[in-house]
Amino acid sequence: MKALIFDSGALINLSMNGLLYILEPLKKNFPGKFLITKQVKYEVVDRPLGIQKFELGALMVRNLIDSGVIEMSSSSGISDETIEIGTKEFMQKANHSLSYKGNWMQVVSDAEMSCLALSRELGKKDVECMIAIDERTTRMLCEDPKKLTDIMSNKMHQKIKLAARNYSPKDFKFIRSTELVYVAFKKGYVNIKGKEALEALLYATKFHGSSVSFEEIEQLKKL
Amino acid sequence: MDEESLHTIQVLESTEESLRNEDSVSLKNLSNQTIHSACAIQDPGSLTIAVLVYSLSKIVERKESIKIKNWDEFVRRINSFFDLAIKALKDNRNDKYESYLIMARNSLTSISVNLKPYIQEVLRKASINKASKLYEHGISLGKTALLLGVSQWELADYTGQREQEDSDTMDTKKRAKMALEFFS
Repeated sequence: MKALIFDSGALINLSMNGLLYILEPLKKNFPGKFLITKQVKYEVVDRPLGIQKFELGALMVRNLIDSGVIEMSSSSGISDETIEIGTKEFMQKANHSLSYKGNWMQVVSDAEMSCLALSRELGKKDVECMIAIDERTTRMLCEDPKKLTDIMSNKMHQKIKLAARNYSPKDFKFIRSTELVYVAFKKGYVNIKGKEALEALLYATKFHGSSVSFEEIEQLKKL
Repeated sequence: MDEESLHTIQVLESTEESLRNEDSVSLKNLSNQTIHSACAIQDPGSLTIAVLVYSLSKIVERKESIKIKNWDEFVRRINSFFDLAIKALKDNRNDKYESYLIMARNSLTSISVNLKPYIQEVLRKASINKASKLYEHGISLGKTALLLGVSQWELADYTGQREQEDSDTMDTKKRAKMALEFFS
């Protein structure tokens, strides 16, 4: 059994690029579930439903939930209460990882940490998980917190201290909407064909929030 | 008085002067000076100043086209709130300091009934601009959106346009292979 857990950004990215349709064939041929937590649903569906500019995007994601392509985390047998407890724990850890002039820096939100909490709980049930997340902070905090500290120190012209490394890179697996679109393209699920299609798709994800560099895109094009 | 408060007072005093001189470039630079505090301490005051001063820079920049009546009175009013905020900071009254900054922000939208929607849009765009700065500084997208009261949908375009310097934490080929295998 597998599970792909979506953070808000990855779904927003696909929606803004008109690429949500790739999730249906991806899911159809996937031995598992596409999941979101209620914290992520709030960011991607509930809140933007009240903002005219993003209402359509939110409705399109809601349509995927209604049709069962994306499921709420509770469908995997993990209760919302369990996720909430885990979320608080991960928030506590993440927000006690970096310090500036002796003060802890609050760097993450509960929606992002709810994805980690769900992944951990599913891992306990031997479900192979991957988190689709476009923003870089959560990913870097788990995969390479030292590098995140260097970026922050450089931006703030002050030494940011990494107090504790709270995760092992093996704890969580991350992809971005960029890799998701890459997989969909390789599997022939993207409606646009032709030589420039992959390049256009990869750049489209970058310009709608995926934390991918130009260099990485160039490398992906050559694979 | 702590170092951060001293710096904030300095920023507010310089803002007053730049506003009097109608110096939009200087106002823009001043708005960036509070980003470090906004990022590290995340106090409402630093966040409000960052958004407010950036908005003022945009208003000054477009002063001729938006035709604000009683400009001098407008500047006097905003600066009087900044004076009160500075005094509150010196008196160590954080609650008052924050409320004077909010009054300054509210006075922007009350310039005139006709200009209210325009100013609200300037404030909204300023919030998005400052949010993208916080994200650049390493605060997560969700946390940034929360701090500035904007939606992640609004931030997606802004953050994507910025170069993600050194944010690769895994070999590109390896992550792509991992993704392909996960879906096989």
